[in-house]
Amino acid sequence: MADVLSVGVNLEAFAQAISAIQALRSSVSRVFDCLKDGMRNKETLEGREKAFIAHFQDNLHSVTRDLNELERLSNLVGKPSENHPLHNSGLLSLDPVQDKTPLYSQLLQAYKWSNKLQYHAGLASGLLNQQSLKRSANQMGVSAKRRPKAQPTTLVLPPQYVDDVISRIDRMFPEMSIHLSRPNGTSAMLLVTLGKVLRVIVVMRSLFIDRTIVKGYNENVYTEDGKLDIWSKSNYQVFQKVTDHATTALLHYQLPQMPDVVVRSFMTWLRSYIKLFQAPCQRCGKFLQDGLPPTWRDFRTLEAFHDTCRQ
Amino acid sequence: MGVTCVSQMPVAEGKSVQQTVELLTRKLETLGAEKQGTFCVDCETYHTAASTLGSQGQAGKLMYVMHNSEYPLSCFALFENGPCLIADTNFDVLMVKLKGFFQSAKASKIETRGTRYQYCDFLVKVGTVTMGPSARGISVEVEYGPCVVASDCWNLLLEFLQSFLGSHTPGAPAVFGNRHDAVYGPADTMVQYMELFNKIRKQQQVPVAGIR
Repeated sequence: MADVLSVGVNLEAFAQAISAIQALRSSVSRVFDCLKDGMRNKETLEGREKAFIAHFQDNLHSVTRDLNELERLSNLVGKPSENHPLHNSGLLSLDPVQDKTPLYSQLLQAYKWSNKLQYHAGLASGLLNQQSLKRSANQMGVSAKRRPKAQPTTLVLPPQYVDDVISRIDRMFPEMSIHLSRPNGTSAMLLVTLGKVLRVIVVMRSLFIDRTIVKGYNENVYTEDGKLDIWSKSNYQVFQKVTDHATTALLHYQLPQMPDVVVRSFMTWLRSYIKLFQAPCQRCGKFLQDGLPPTWRDFRTLEAFHDTCRQ
Repeated sequence: MGVTCVSQMPVAEGKSVQQTVELLTRKLETLGAEKQGTFCVDCETYHTAASTLGSQGQAGKLMYVMHNSEYPLSCFALFENGPCLIADTNFDVLMVKLKGFFQSAKASKIETRGTRYQYCDFLVKVGTVTMGPSARGISVEVEYGPCVVASDCWNLLLEFLQSFLGSHTPGAPAVFGNRHDAVYGPADTMVQYMELFNKIRKQQQVPVAGIR
Protein backbone atom coordinates (compact mmCIF):
# COMPACT_ATOMS: atom_id res chain seq x y z
CA MET A 1 0.00 0.00 0.00
CA ALA A 2 3.03 2.21 0.37
CA ASP A 3 3.28 3.16 -3.31
CA VAL A 4 -0.39 4.08 -3.42
CA LEU A 5 -0.19 6.29 -0.40
CA SER A 6 2.97 8.08 -1.35
CA VAL A 7 1.19 11.38 -1.87
CA GLY A 8 -0.75 13.04 0.87
CA VAL A 9 0.54 11.01 3.79
CA ASN A 10 3.03 12.23 6.31
CA LEU A 11 4.90 9.05 7.14
CA GLU A 12 6.67 10.68 10.10
CA ALA A 13 3.41 11.71 11.67
CA PHE A 14 2.06 8.25 10.89
CA ALA A 15 4.86 6.56 12.84
CA GLN A 16 4.47 9.00 15.71
CA ALA A 17 0.72 8.41 15.77
CA ILE A 18 1.32 4.66 16.06
CA SER A 19 3.63 5.16 19.07
CA ALA A 20 1.06 7.60 20.53
CA ILE A 21 -1.54 4.84 20.29
CA GLN A 22 0.80 2.51 22.15
CA ALA A 23 1.32 5.13 24.86
CA LEU A 24 -2.43 5.62 25.17
CA ARG A 25 -2.98 1.91 25.51
CA SER A 26 -0.37 1.59 28.24
CA SER A 27 -1.82 4.52 30.21
CA VAL A 28 -5.34 3.06 29.96
CA SER A 29 -4.05 -0.28 31.16
CA ARG A 30 -2.31 1.53 34.05
CA VAL A 31 -5.68 2.99 35.05
CA PHE A 32 -7.23 -0.41 35.25
CA ASP A 33 -4.22 -1.80 37.09
CA CYS A 34 -4.56 0.90 39.65
CA LEU A 35 -8.22 0.11 40.09
CA LYS A 36 -7.46 -3.55 40.36
CA ASP A 37 -4.74 -3.01 42.96
CA GLY A 38 -7.05 -1.06 45.12
CA MET A 39 -5.94 0.94 48.16
CA ARG A 40 -2.42 0.68 49.50
CA ASN A 41 -1.72 -0.19 52.93
CA LYS A 42 -1.35 3.00 54.99
CA GLU A 43 -1.90 3.87 58.67
CA THR A 44 -5.18 5.75 58.40
CA LEU A 45 -8.20 5.18 56.21
CA GLU A 46 -8.10 8.77 54.98
CA GLY A 47 -4.48 8.43 54.02
CA ARG A 48 -5.28 5.37 52.02
CA GLU A 49 -8.22 6.97 50.30
CA LYS A 50 -6.27 10.10 49.48
CA ALA A 51 -3.36 8.17 48.04
CA PHE A 52 -5.69 6.05 45.96
CA ILE A 53 -7.60 9.00 44.55
CA ALA A 54 -4.36 10.87 43.74
CA HIS A 55 -2.96 7.89 41.94
CA PHE A 56 -6.17 7.38 40.05
CA GLN A 57 -6.33 11.00 38.97
CA ASP A 58 -2.72 10.90 37.73
CA ASN A 59 -3.50 7.97 35.54
CA LEU A 60 -6.61 9.59 34.12
CA HIS A 61 -4.64 12.73 33.31
CA SER A 62 -2.01 10.76 31.45
CA VAL A 63 -4.79 9.08 29.45
CA THR A 64 -6.26 12.45 28.52
CA ARG A 65 -2.81 13.77 27.56
CA ASP A 66 -2.09 10.79 25.35
CA LEU A 67 -5.49 11.02 23.70
CA ASN A 68 -4.95 14.71 22.91
CA GLU A 69 -1.54 13.92 21.49
CA LEU A 70 -3.06 11.21 19.31
CA GLU A 71 -5.77 13.53 18.05
CA ARG A 72 -3.17 16.15 17.15
CA LEU A 73 -1.06 13.65 15.29
CA SER A 74 -4.02 12.08 13.49
CA ASN A 75 -4.82 15.49 12.06
CA LEU A 76 -1.28 15.67 10.67
CA VAL A 77 -1.54 12.33 8.93
CA GLY A 78 -3.11 13.02 5.59
CA LYS A 79 -5.88 11.12 3.98
CA PRO A 80 -4.85 8.37 1.58
CA SER A 81 -5.35 9.37 -2.04
CA GLU A 82 -8.76 8.69 -3.36
CA ASN A 83 -7.45 7.48 -6.70
CA HIS A 84 -7.61 3.84 -5.93
CA PRO A 85 -6.42 2.31 -9.19
CA LEU A 86 -7.29 -1.23 -8.13
CA HIS A 87 -10.93 -0.42 -7.35
CA ASN A 88 -12.77 -3.48 -6.22
CA SER A 89 -9.95 -5.93 -6.70
CA GLY A 90 -7.73 -3.81 -4.47
CA LEU A 91 -10.18 -4.32 -1.64
CA LEU A 92 -9.47 -8.04 -1.95
CA SER A 93 -5.87 -7.36 -1.03
CA LEU A 94 -6.97 -6.11 2.35
CA ASP A 95 -7.89 -9.66 3.34
CA PRO A 96 -5.26 -10.61 5.91
CA VAL A 97 -5.54 -14.37 5.79
CA GLN A 98 -3.04 -14.99 2.99
CA ASP A 99 -2.41 -18.67 3.67
CA LYS A 100 -5.95 -19.92 3.50
CA THR A 101 -7.41 -17.64 0.87
CA PRO A 102 -4.65 -16.29 -1.38
CA LEU A 103 -7.23 -14.63 -3.57
CA TYR A 104 -5.43 -11.44 -4.41
CA SER A 105 -2.11 -13.00 -5.41
CA GLN A 106 -3.89 -15.61 -7.54
CA LEU A 107 -5.94 -12.87 -9.13
CA LEU A 108 -2.81 -10.94 -10.05
CA GLN A 109 -1.18 -14.03 -11.54
CA ALA A 110 -4.27 -14.88 -13.58
CA TYR A 111 -4.42 -11.36 -14.93
CA LYS A 112 -0.75 -11.30 -15.93
CA TRP A 113 -1.09 -14.71 -17.58
CA SER A 114 -4.13 -13.76 -19.60
CA ASN A 115 -2.40 -10.60 -20.79
CA LYS A 116 0.60 -12.59 -21.95
CA LEU A 117 -1.65 -15.12 -23.65
CA GLN A 118 -3.45 -12.41 -25.55
CA TYR A 119 -0.18 -10.95 -26.71
CA HIS A 120 1.23 -14.27 -27.90
CA ALA A 121 -2.03 -15.17 -29.63
CA GLY A 122 -1.91 -11.91 -31.51
CA LEU A 123 1.66 -12.60 -32.69
CA ALA A 124 0.78 -16.17 -33.69
CA SER A 125 -2.28 -15.18 -35.70
CA GLY A 126 -0.23 -12.58 -37.54
CA LEU A 127 2.37 -15.17 -38.47
CA LEU A 128 -0.17 -17.83 -39.43
CA ASN A 129 -2.13 -15.50 -41.65
CA GLN A 130 0.95 -15.04 -43.77
CA GLN A 131 0.67 -18.66 -44.92
CA SER A 132 -2.54 -19.52 -46.68
CA LEU A 133 -4.05 -22.59 -45.05
CA LYS A 134 -6.62 -23.43 -47.66
CA ARG A 135 -5.55 -25.68 -50.44
CA SER A 136 -8.48 -24.92 -52.71
CA ALA A 137 -8.77 -21.68 -54.62
CA ASN A 138 -11.23 -19.51 -52.79
CA GLN A 139 -11.99 -15.83 -52.72
CA MET A 140 -10.87 -14.53 -49.37
CA GLY A 141 -12.33 -11.46 -47.75
CA VAL A 142 -15.13 -10.96 -50.24
CA SER A 143 -18.26 -9.70 -48.59
CA ALA A 144 -21.27 -11.97 -48.38
CA LYS A 145 -23.20 -10.00 -50.94
CA ARG A 146 -20.53 -10.20 -53.59
CA ARG A 147 -19.39 -13.79 -52.90
CA PRO A 148 -20.42 -16.01 -55.77
CA LYS A 149 -22.98 -18.61 -54.88
CA ALA A 150 -21.16 -21.45 -56.61
CA GLN A 151 -18.22 -23.24 -55.00
CA PRO A 152 -14.71 -22.49 -56.21
CA THR A 153 -14.08 -24.03 -59.57
CA THR A 154 -11.29 -26.39 -58.57
CA LEU A 155 -13.50 -28.22 -56.11
CA VAL A 156 -16.16 -29.15 -58.63
CA LEU A 157 -14.43 -30.85 -61.46
CA PRO A 158 -16.16 -33.33 -63.71
CA PRO A 159 -15.19 -36.92 -62.82
CA GLN A 160 -14.13 -37.53 -66.39
CA TYR A 161 -11.44 -34.88 -66.06
CA VAL A 162 -10.16 -36.48 -62.86
CA ASP A 163 -10.08 -39.87 -64.61
CA ASP A 164 -8.10 -38.39 -67.48
CA VAL A 165 -5.52 -36.78 -65.25
CA ILE A 166 -5.03 -39.97 -63.27
CA SER A 167 -4.69 -42.17 -66.30
CA ARG A 168 -2.11 -39.80 -67.74
CA ILE A 169 -0.08 -39.99 -64.56
CA ASP A 170 -0.49 -43.77 -64.59
CA ARG A 171 1.24 -43.90 -67.95
CA MET A 172 4.03 -41.58 -66.81
CA PHE A 173 5.95 -44.06 -64.69
CA PRO A 174 6.44 -47.66 -65.71
CA GLU A 175 6.93 -49.11 -62.25
CA MET A 176 3.92 -47.37 -60.77
CA SER A 177 0.39 -48.46 -61.60
CA ILE A 178 -2.71 -46.56 -60.49
CA HIS A 179 -6.14 -48.08 -60.32
CA LEU A 180 -9.06 -45.69 -59.86
CA SER A 181 -12.44 -46.58 -58.41
CA ARG A 182 -15.41 -44.68 -57.00
CA PRO A 183 -17.01 -46.93 -54.39
CA ASN A 184 -18.27 -44.07 -52.23
CA GLY A 185 -19.86 -41.38 -54.34
CA THR A 186 -17.87 -38.97 -56.42
CA SER A 187 -14.59 -39.13 -54.49
CA ALA A 188 -11.99 -41.06 -56.38
CA MET A 189 -10.05 -43.76 -54.55
CA LEU A 190 -6.74 -44.69 -56.06
CA LEU A 191 -4.83 -47.88 -55.42
CA VAL A 192 -1.22 -47.15 -56.37
CA THR A 193 1.11 -50.13 -56.62
CA LEU A 194 4.77 -49.25 -56.61
CA GLY A 195 6.85 -52.11 -58.00
CA LYS A 196 6.92 -54.90 -55.42
CA VAL A 197 7.60 -52.54 -52.55
CA LEU A 198 4.37 -51.01 -51.40
CA ARG A 199 0.75 -50.23 -52.07
CA VAL A 200 -0.80 -46.84 -51.41
CA ILE A 201 -4.49 -46.07 -51.06
CA VAL A 202 -5.18 -42.44 -51.93
CA VAL A 203 -8.56 -40.91 -51.13
CA MET A 204 -9.29 -37.84 -53.18
CA ARG A 205 -11.77 -35.00 -53.19
CA SER A 206 -12.14 -33.96 -56.83
CA LEU A 207 -8.46 -33.45 -57.70
CA PHE A 208 -7.22 -32.75 -54.18
CA ILE A 209 -5.56 -35.53 -52.24
CA ASP A 210 -7.34 -35.97 -48.93
CA ARG A 211 -5.76 -38.96 -47.23
CA THR A 212 -3.22 -41.64 -47.93
CA ILE A 213 -2.53 -45.01 -46.35
CA VAL A 214 0.65 -46.87 -47.23
CA LYS A 215 0.80 -50.63 -46.83
CA GLY A 216 3.20 -53.39 -47.73
CA TYR A 217 3.10 -55.23 -51.03
CA ASN A 218 1.96 -58.45 -49.38
CA GLU A 219 -0.59 -56.87 -47.07
CA ASN A 220 -4.29 -57.06 -47.71
CA VAL A 221 -5.81 -53.82 -48.96
CA TYR A 222 -9.35 -55.08 -49.25
CA THR A 223 -11.90 -55.67 -46.53
CA GLU A 224 -13.78 -58.93 -46.19
CA ASP A 225 -16.50 -57.57 -48.48
CA GLY A 226 -13.99 -57.04 -51.24
CA LYS A 227 -14.10 -53.26 -50.98
CA LEU A 228 -11.02 -51.12 -50.62
CA ASP A 229 -10.05 -50.85 -46.97
CA ILE A 230 -9.26 -47.19 -46.41
CA TRP A 231 -9.01 -47.19 -42.65
CA SER A 232 -6.81 -49.94 -41.25
CA LYS A 233 -3.15 -49.14 -40.79
CA SER A 234 -0.25 -51.24 -41.95
CA ASN A 235 1.10 -53.97 -39.68
CA TYR A 236 4.67 -52.85 -40.19
CA GLN A 237 6.25 -49.89 -38.48
CA VAL A 238 8.15 -48.83 -41.57
CA PHE A 239 4.94 -48.40 -43.56
CA GLN A 240 3.23 -46.60 -40.72
CA LYS A 241 6.11 -44.14 -40.84
CA VAL A 242 5.85 -43.79 -44.60
CA THR A 243 2.11 -43.12 -44.19
CA ASP A 244 2.93 -40.21 -41.89
CA HIS A 245 5.45 -38.88 -44.38
CA ALA A 246 2.94 -39.20 -47.21
CA THR A 247 0.42 -37.17 -45.22
CA THR A 248 3.08 -34.52 -44.73
CA ALA A 249 3.77 -34.57 -48.46
CA LEU A 250 0.16 -34.11 -49.48
CA LEU A 251 -0.02 -31.06 -47.27
CA HIS A 252 3.27 -29.77 -48.58
CA TYR A 253 2.55 -29.88 -52.28
CA GLN A 254 -0.01 -27.12 -52.64
CA LEU A 255 -1.02 -25.11 -55.66
CA PRO A 256 -4.64 -24.06 -55.41
CA GLN A 257 -5.05 -23.09 -59.05
CA MET A 258 -3.44 -26.15 -60.63
CA PRO A 259 -4.32 -29.29 -58.70
CA ASP A 260 -3.18 -31.65 -61.43
CA VAL A 261 0.40 -30.38 -61.07
CA VAL A 262 0.07 -31.11 -57.37
CA VAL A 263 -1.01 -34.69 -57.99
CA ARG A 264 1.84 -35.16 -60.45
CA SER A 265 4.44 -33.87 -57.96
CA PHE A 266 2.99 -36.04 -55.24
CA MET A 267 3.24 -39.12 -57.44
CA THR A 268 6.80 -38.24 -58.41
CA TRP A 269 7.68 -37.95 -54.73
CA LEU A 270 5.96 -41.26 -54.01
CA ARG A 271 7.83 -42.98 -56.80
CA SER A 272 11.12 -42.35 -55.01
CA TYR A 273 10.07 -45.02 -52.53
CA ILE A 274 10.77 -47.74 -55.07
CA LYS A 275 14.20 -47.97 -53.43
CA LEU A 276 12.88 -47.89 -49.88
CA PHE A 277 14.90 -50.91 -48.77
CA GLN A 278 17.90 -50.41 -51.00
CA ALA A 279 18.95 -46.81 -50.45
CA PRO A 280 21.11 -45.91 -47.46
CA CYS A 281 20.59 -42.65 -45.62
CA GLN A 282 22.34 -39.72 -47.31
CA ARG A 283 23.38 -38.24 -44.00
CA CYS A 284 24.61 -41.10 -41.84
CA GLY A 285 25.27 -43.64 -44.58
CA LYS A 286 23.64 -46.50 -42.71
CA PHE A 287 20.62 -48.55 -43.63
CA LEU A 288 18.99 -48.93 -40.25
CA GLN A 289 18.19 -46.47 -37.52
CA ASP A 290 16.15 -47.90 -34.63
CA GLY A 291 15.23 -50.75 -36.90
CA LEU A 292 13.83 -48.51 -39.64
CA PRO A 293 15.28 -47.88 -43.09
CA PRO A 294 15.50 -44.30 -44.43
CA THR A 295 11.83 -43.47 -44.76
CA TRP A 296 12.00 -39.72 -45.42
CA ARG A 297 12.29 -38.44 -48.96
CA ASP A 298 13.24 -34.80 -49.32
CA PHE A 299 10.55 -32.82 -51.09
CA ARG A 300 12.87 -31.13 -53.53
CA THR A 301 15.76 -33.49 -54.10
CA LEU A 302 14.02 -36.83 -53.37
CA GLU A 303 17.04 -38.03 -51.40
CA ALA A 304 16.57 -40.68 -48.76
CA PHE A 305 17.05 -39.82 -45.10
CA HIS A 306 16.23 -41.44 -41.84
CA ASP A 307 13.43 -39.71 -40.04
CA THR A 308 15.86 -38.60 -37.37
CA CYS A 309 18.56 -37.60 -39.87
CA ARG A 310 16.57 -35.24 -42.02
CA GLN A 311 17.61 -31.61 -42.13
CA MET B 1 6.08 -63.59 -45.46
CA GLY B 2 9.04 -61.31 -45.58
CA VAL B 3 12.58 -61.97 -46.70
CA THR B 4 14.24 -64.43 -44.34
CA CYS B 5 17.84 -65.38 -43.75
CA VAL B 6 18.68 -68.60 -41.93
CA SER B 7 22.20 -69.12 -40.69
CA GLN B 8 24.20 -71.07 -38.21
CA MET B 9 25.91 -69.54 -35.24
CA PRO B 10 29.10 -71.38 -34.27
CA VAL B 11 29.33 -72.35 -30.64
CA ALA B 12 31.56 -70.00 -28.69
CA GLU B 13 34.97 -71.17 -27.57
CA GLY B 14 34.85 -73.08 -24.34
CA LYS B 15 31.11 -72.67 -23.94
CA SER B 16 28.22 -75.02 -24.35
CA VAL B 17 25.42 -74.66 -26.85
CA GLN B 18 23.03 -73.41 -24.21
CA GLN B 19 25.43 -70.79 -22.99
CA THR B 20 25.97 -69.47 -26.47
CA VAL B 21 22.23 -69.30 -27.02
CA GLU B 22 21.93 -67.39 -23.79
CA LEU B 23 24.63 -64.96 -24.88
CA LEU B 24 22.80 -64.32 -28.12
CA THR B 25 19.43 -63.80 -26.48
CA ARG B 26 20.91 -61.42 -23.98
CA LYS B 27 22.46 -59.40 -26.80
CA LEU B 28 19.10 -59.28 -28.52
CA GLU B 29 17.39 -58.10 -25.39
CA THR B 30 19.86 -55.28 -24.87
CA LEU B 31 19.20 -54.26 -28.48
CA GLY B 32 15.57 -53.81 -27.49
CA ALA B 33 13.93 -56.92 -28.87
CA GLU B 34 10.84 -58.34 -27.17
CA LYS B 35 10.31 -62.00 -26.52
CA GLN B 36 7.28 -63.34 -28.33
CA GLY B 37 6.90 -67.02 -27.62
CA THR B 38 8.64 -70.04 -29.05
CA PHE B 39 9.12 -71.68 -32.41
CA CYS B 40 9.97 -75.08 -33.75
CA VAL B 41 11.16 -76.29 -37.16
CA ASP B 42 11.63 -79.97 -37.73
CA CYS B 43 12.66 -82.16 -40.59
CA GLU B 44 12.33 -85.83 -41.41
CA THR B 45 14.18 -87.54 -44.21
CA TYR B 46 12.75 -90.09 -46.57
CA HIS B 47 14.50 -91.84 -49.39
CA THR B 48 12.91 -93.41 -52.41
CA ALA B 49 12.36 -97.11 -51.89
CA ALA B 50 14.59 -99.53 -53.74
CA SER B 51 11.72 -101.04 -55.67
CA THR B 52 11.00 -97.85 -57.52
CA LEU B 53 14.54 -97.19 -58.63
CA GLY B 54 14.29 -98.94 -61.92
CA SER B 55 16.96 -100.64 -64.02
CA GLN B 56 19.33 -97.72 -64.44
CA GLY B 57 20.29 -97.99 -60.81
CA GLN B 58 19.95 -94.31 -60.27
CA ALA B 59 20.66 -93.19 -56.73
CA GLY B 60 17.65 -92.75 -54.54
CA LYS B 61 16.55 -89.19 -54.08
CA LEU B 62 16.17 -87.83 -50.63
CA MET B 63 12.95 -86.16 -49.72
CA TYR B 64 12.58 -83.94 -46.72
CA VAL B 65 9.29 -83.41 -44.96
CA MET B 66 9.41 -80.33 -42.78
CA HIS B 67 7.13 -78.44 -40.46
CA ASN B 68 7.37 -74.85 -39.30
CA SER B 69 5.50 -73.54 -36.28
CA GLU B 70 5.12 -70.24 -38.12
CA TYR B 71 2.76 -72.05 -40.51
CA PRO B 72 1.04 -74.49 -38.22
CA LEU B 73 -1.44 -75.77 -40.77
CA SER B 74 1.12 -76.54 -43.45
CA CYS B 75 3.60 -79.21 -44.23
CA PHE B 76 6.52 -78.76 -46.61
CA ALA B 77 7.95 -81.52 -48.75
CA LEU B 78 11.06 -80.84 -50.77
CA PHE B 79 13.81 -82.50 -52.72
CA GLU B 80 17.35 -81.27 -52.51
CA ASN B 81 17.48 -79.35 -55.76
CA GLY B 82 13.96 -79.87 -56.75
CA PRO B 83 10.56 -78.43 -56.20
CA CYS B 84 9.04 -77.70 -52.85
CA LEU B 85 5.50 -78.72 -52.12
CA ILE B 86 3.43 -76.84 -49.59
CA ALA B 87 0.67 -79.08 -48.37
CA ASP B 88 -1.86 -79.57 -45.62
CA THR B 89 -0.85 -81.26 -42.34
CA ASN B 90 -2.61 -84.36 -43.58
CA PHE B 91 0.41 -84.88 -45.78
CA ASP B 92 2.10 -86.66 -42.88
CA VAL B 93 -0.65 -89.23 -42.87
CA LEU B 94 -0.28 -89.52 -46.62
CA MET B 95 3.39 -90.37 -46.19
CA VAL B 96 2.41 -93.34 -44.08
CA LYS B 97 0.28 -94.57 -46.94
CA LEU B 98 3.17 -94.08 -49.37
CA LYS B 99 5.40 -96.41 -47.37
CA GLY B 100 5.99 -98.45 -50.47
CA PHE B 101 7.58 -95.57 -52.32
CA PHE B 102 9.25 -93.56 -49.62
CA GLN B 103 10.98 -95.04 -46.65
CA SER B 104 11.94 -93.09 -43.61
CA ALA B 105 15.67 -92.91 -43.02
CA LYS B 106 16.75 -94.15 -39.65
CA ALA B 107 17.24 -91.67 -36.83
CA SER B 108 16.86 -88.86 -39.27
CA LYS B 109 14.61 -86.50 -37.39
CA ILE B 110 16.33 -83.21 -36.76
CA GLU B 111 14.69 -80.17 -35.27
CA THR B 112 15.41 -76.73 -33.91
CA ARG B 113 13.54 -75.18 -31.03
CA GLY B 114 13.91 -71.83 -29.42
CA THR B 115 12.45 -68.40 -28.72
CA ARG B 116 11.08 -65.72 -31.05
CA TYR B 117 12.04 -62.11 -30.66
CA GLN B 118 10.48 -59.08 -32.29
CA TYR B 119 12.51 -55.93 -32.92
CA CYS B 120 10.72 -53.23 -34.88
CA ASP B 121 9.84 -55.05 -38.13
CA PHE B 122 12.40 -57.83 -37.65
CA LEU B 123 11.50 -61.28 -36.36
CA VAL B 124 14.48 -63.10 -34.92
CA LYS B 125 14.40 -66.77 -33.97
CA VAL B 126 17.30 -68.32 -32.10
CA GLY B 127 17.06 -72.06 -31.76
CA THR B 128 19.04 -75.06 -30.61
CA VAL B 129 19.38 -77.72 -33.31
CA THR B 130 18.95 -81.18 -31.80
CA MET B 131 19.20 -84.55 -33.34
CA GLY B 132 17.74 -87.08 -30.97
CA PRO B 133 18.87 -86.26 -27.47
CA SER B 134 21.96 -84.28 -28.34
CA ALA B 135 22.25 -80.64 -29.26
CA ARG B 136 24.23 -80.18 -32.42
CA GLY B 137 24.29 -76.47 -33.09
CA ILE B 138 22.52 -73.13 -33.10
CA SER B 139 20.26 -71.79 -35.81
CA VAL B 140 19.51 -68.11 -36.23
CA GLU B 141 16.67 -66.96 -38.46
CA VAL B 142 15.97 -63.30 -39.19
CA GLU B 143 12.86 -62.26 -41.08
CA TYR B 144 12.25 -58.74 -42.34
CA GLY B 145 8.49 -58.53 -42.75
CA PRO B 146 7.89 -55.51 -44.95
CA CYS B 147 10.09 -56.54 -47.86
CA VAL B 148 9.19 -59.39 -50.21
CA VAL B 149 11.94 -59.13 -52.79
CA ALA B 150 15.15 -60.75 -51.63
CA SER B 151 17.61 -58.75 -53.67
CA ASP B 152 16.21 -55.45 -52.38
CA CYS B 153 16.90 -55.74 -48.72
CA TRP B 154 19.98 -57.93 -48.36
CA ASN B 155 22.15 -54.96 -47.31
CA LEU B 156 19.59 -53.94 -44.72
CA LEU B 157 19.41 -57.47 -43.33
CA LEU B 158 23.19 -57.68 -43.29
CA GLU B 159 23.44 -54.51 -41.23
CA PHE B 160 20.96 -55.86 -38.75
CA LEU B 161 22.69 -59.24 -38.54
CA GLN B 162 26.00 -57.54 -37.92
CA SER B 163 24.53 -55.59 -35.03
CA PHE B 164 23.98 -58.69 -32.95
CA LEU B 165 25.98 -61.51 -34.56
CA GLY B 166 29.12 -59.46 -34.95
CA SER B 167 31.81 -61.42 -36.74
CA HIS B 168 29.65 -64.49 -37.27
CA THR B 169 27.49 -62.77 -39.88
CA PRO B 170 26.79 -65.12 -42.76
CA GLY B 171 27.04 -64.44 -46.45
CA ALA B 172 24.02 -64.09 -48.72
CA PRO B 173 22.01 -67.31 -48.84
CA ALA B 174 21.98 -69.18 -52.13
CA VAL B 175 18.25 -68.76 -52.57
CA PHE B 176 18.70 -65.03 -52.80
CA GLY B 177 20.83 -65.39 -55.86
CA ASN B 178 18.41 -67.70 -57.62
CA ARG B 179 15.36 -65.54 -57.52
CA HIS B 180 16.16 -62.00 -58.47
CA ASP B 181 12.91 -60.20 -58.53
CA ALA B 182 10.55 -62.94 -57.59
CA VAL B 183 8.46 -62.62 -54.49
CA TYR B 184 10.00 -64.42 -51.53
CA GLY B 185 7.96 -67.28 -50.14
CA PRO B 186 7.94 -69.72 -47.22
CA ALA B 187 9.33 -72.43 -49.48
CA ASP B 188 12.58 -70.48 -49.74
CA THR B 189 12.88 -70.42 -45.96
CA MET B 190 12.38 -74.17 -45.77
CA VAL B 191 15.07 -74.69 -48.40
CA GLN B 192 17.44 -72.68 -46.25
CA TYR B 193 16.56 -74.75 -43.19
CA MET B 194 17.08 -77.94 -45.14
CA GLU B 195 20.56 -76.81 -46.19
CA LEU B 196 21.35 -75.85 -42.61
CA PHE B 197 20.23 -79.19 -41.24
CA ASN B 198 22.26 -81.06 -43.84
CA LYS B 199 25.32 -79.05 -42.95
CA ILE B 200 24.86 -79.75 -39.27
CA ARG B 201 24.28 -83.44 -39.93
CA LYS B 202 27.61 -83.65 -41.71
CA GLN B 203 29.41 -81.78 -38.94
CA GLN B 204 30.97 -83.72 -36.16
CA GLN B 205 29.22 -83.80 -32.87
CA VAL B 206 29.95 -80.74 -30.72
CA PRO B 207 32.98 -81.78 -28.60
CA VAL B 208 31.80 -80.31 -25.29
CA ALA B 209 29.63 -82.98 -23.79
CA GLY B 210 26.60 -82.85 -21.58
CA ILE B 211 24.57 -80.42 -23.60
CA ARG B 212 20.83 -80.24 -23.46
